[in-house]
Amino acid sequence: MKAKILLAGTSVLFAAPLWADTLTINSFGGAYEEAHRACVIDPFTAATGADVSIVTAYSADAFAQLRAQKDAPQFDVIHFSGGQEIVGAKEGLLAPVDPAKLENIDQLYDIAKPNLAAGEGPAYSIAPVGILANSEAAEAPVSWAAMMKDADASHMVLTDISNGYGMLGFLMMNQVAGGSMEDIQPGLDAVTDLLERGTVIVSTSPEIQQEFAQNEAWVAPYAADYAFTLQQAGLPISFVNPEEGLPGSFITASIVAGRDNGDLAHRFLDIEISKAAQECMAQALRYTPTNREAELPEDVASTMVVGEEAVAKLIRFDPTTIEAKRSEWVDAWNRTIAR
Amino acid sequence: MVREVPLWLKVAAGIFLAGMTLLLLGPLVVVLGVSVSESQFIAFPPQGLSLKWYAQVFGDARYLVSFRQSLVLALIVTGLASLFGGASAIAIHRRAIPGAGILATIFLSPLILPTIIYAVGMLMFWSATFGAVSFLTLVIGHTVICIPYVLRTTLAVLSESDPYLEEAARTMGAGRLARLWFVVLPQCLPGLAAGMFFAFNISFDEAVLSLFLRQPDLTTLPVRVYGQLEFSPDPSVAAVSSIMIGVTVLLLLLADRILGLKRFSEG
Amino acid sequence: MTDRRENLLLLAPGLALLALAFILPIFRMLALSVQGEDGLTGAHFARFLGDPFYLGVLWRTVRLSLLITLICAVLGFPFAYIMARARPRLRTLLLIIVILPLMTSVVVRTFGWMVILSRNGILPEMLRDLGLAGRSFQLMRTETAIVLGMVQVLMPFMVLSILGVLARLDQRLEEAARTMGCSFLGALRHVVLPLSMPGIAVGAVLCFTLSASSFVTPNLLGGTRVQMLAASIYRAVTQTLDWNFAAAQSVILLVGILLVMAPYIVSQGRRHG
Repeated sequence: MKAKILLAGTSVLFAAPLWADTLTINSFGGAYEEAHRACVIDPFTAATGADVSIVTAYSADAFAQLRAQKDAPQFDVIHFSGGQEIVGAKEGLLAPVDPAKLENIDQLYDIAKPNLAAGEGPAYSIAPVGILANSEAAEAPVSWAAMMKDADASHMVLTDISNGYGMLGFLMMNQVAGGSMEDIQPGLDAVTDLLERGTVIVSTSPEIQQEFAQNEAWVAPYAADYAFTLQQAGLPISFVNPEEGLPGSFITASIVAGRDNGDLAHRFLDIEISKAAQECMAQALRYTPTNREAELPEDVASTMVVGEEAVAKLIRFDPTTIEAKRSEWVDAWNRTIAR
Repeated sequence: MVREVPLWLKVAAGIFLAGMTLLLLGPLVVVLGVSVSESQFIAFPPQGLSLKWYAQVFGDARYLVSFRQSLVLALIVTGLASLFGGASAIAIHRRAIPGAGILATIFLSPLILPTIIYAVGMLMFWSATFGAVSFLTLVIGHTVICIPYVLRTTLAVLSESDPYLEEAARTMGAGRLARLWFVVLPQCLPGLAAGMFFAFNISFDEAVLSLFLRQPDLTTLPVRVYGQLEFSPDPSVAAVSSIMIGVTVLLLLLADRILGLKRFSEG
Repeated sequence: MTDRRENLLLLAPGLALLALAFILPIFRMLALSVQGEDGLTGAHFARFLGDPFYLGVLWRTVRLSLLITLICAVLGFPFAYIMARARPRLRTLLLIIVILPLMTSVVVRTFGWMVILSRNGILPEMLRDLGLAGRSFQLMRTETAIVLGMVQVLMPFMVLSILGVLARLDQRLEEAARTMGCSFLGALRHVVLPLSMPGIAVGAVLCFTLSASSFVTPNLLGGTRVQMLAASIYRAVTQTLDWNFAAAQSVILLVGILLVMAPYIVSQGRRHG
């Protein structure tokens, strides 16, 4: 008995340094979290011996938590998909990322690491936003213009711009309708027109799934990864890469300021942006890799937006402008869509 | 001579109850239907018949862990909320301090503000004062939002209670504790029971506070379901709800067998 | 120990918890409503109060909350009364019926409503078949959907609040009234209803406050085109990240709700000193 306690005591003693090496991160739940674990977290634990605690939190919730916890942050590495890292860096909530500590950083496209020194972490995945279409119900539109003009608006679902994908889809429609980052009125007019013709607006991804599943929706601007999720579930959904091009939503990993295991956090980022991890995430969830070395099997790659050329063609609405104008735009949007 | 309840009224009551049942349970029938669907997505009418989503939920240790965490949390919170809320109700009813009525309103404010405002405020306050959030933070947060229910329902039954009963007990020499236990508490019981029921439900079902005051290794059931829906919206979520429906029905029938539910509705 | 001390002892724990764990944190948040980039400002309030759009959102919040409360009371009172007078078996059944909606995940429950209310849904189709509605008629994402969904989840709060009071009601009072010649409905109106008022009042307070502060059900059933104030607050906190404005909206919601409830609060003040 005594020996056992002694043994337990020593093991705790020896385990102690390992315990100190715990990294707390957020992940996005469900299938995303499973893939994240298999592609990034497990390899990280294998390489460093450090544990990873996961808190399931989406970008918006995670950011609110990060900001409220400013005095005692609990995250070491935080993942965002809606551009929150720009606000976080500006408010001093995120620590600068040191490229010298990231072996793989040179393999990333430049577009994926615009502002590391300020604290905006590198993007490790891109979710292209195009058009989801039920190929059995109607002919899929080939372009944004065709979607806005010819598709059956009463079976179209738009996503509210409070959602990151919704914002990008709207900005794209705005651009096609003749608007710009300075003027979103053409986009709002186009939305008004669609609403008058019976289009529905939702604000969360489960609603999109339900609309497609109940055959209420045939066409919806949304992200490629979600098209894949719906396909996996057995819905006849195809992802259209419209003629005018498509914007991408960047999923980034940033290091939180005020935590004391920055080196470990850098190691985590390094593994996350590595060729192997990005290939793995792309195969599991159809996210576009930001690592130029990443190679995908032909059958996967053919359904996706991949490669340096394709990524260079992605339309990049300046995220800093989006952050600066978000409040104003959401306000205008709300007024436009309000009944 | 008491006149009979007229027949047309009985018929009207029957129609009324049927309508209410439709309103309250109609959407839940859909949930049950979805949960036995074979398809990978949430759709109605169900395609095929399968219990695989139930198998998945029962086979997934994470759901079970979350269920246990939610249950423990809700039980602790119910206990604390009924203690704090019940005691405060008695004191407010007795007009412990001037302006007790105003106080009763202040006690309501956790219900009026959207939970997210409290959640963010609590997180800021706790981080600045005590550092990292813990299970305790969540217990306290839930207790605060559950107290108003207990307080309100208990106050309501107290306001209809006989004020002379306690006086009589005092005259007959009952001590303070004895009066509280044997006279006041039984008077509170129907309200307290309803309040406790609300508290348990609110805590068990609460997602916003749990979402914001969250830490690794603590994922309550509503938060787990929320996470599941966003990235893998499959019928397993409907199965979880259906299991909850089943457990509730079972518990209530059991309570009915054992207690006749007397405590609940008759005190 | 004096009575006064006993009462204070009963009150102290609850009050302390409320002050430390609610008032302090919430004050920290609500204080943001008057903070601007350079010192104190009323700009966030002015933005809301000077804008017909936001005033419309506030008005809809109050209007729908009152409507939901009214429906809950009108349907909940007879339901609770039948429960109180029913045989035990039926009472258990009714109890189960009224509380089950509370036990299901809100998103899945909302899906249930969608199946019933959407364009291809059961209800609009029925109305179409009867010739009462047009081709694209749907109830999903309308105020009607919000009211239906909220009534469904808030009903237990109303019914159980009333039941608690009815259960304590001396049934002989009612019998006495009827012996003296009152009809059944007469006794209900002149005896039972007035005596259940405290229960109805509590149920109404719970329903009203919860309608006004709920976010998920109204947001999913009403959609973003039919916004309520709580949804606007959520959005300001998590999406536009404008916490000052979120705090200002919360203060306005709090004051608005308290104003609507003023008559009740005053009567409570009289009642409980």
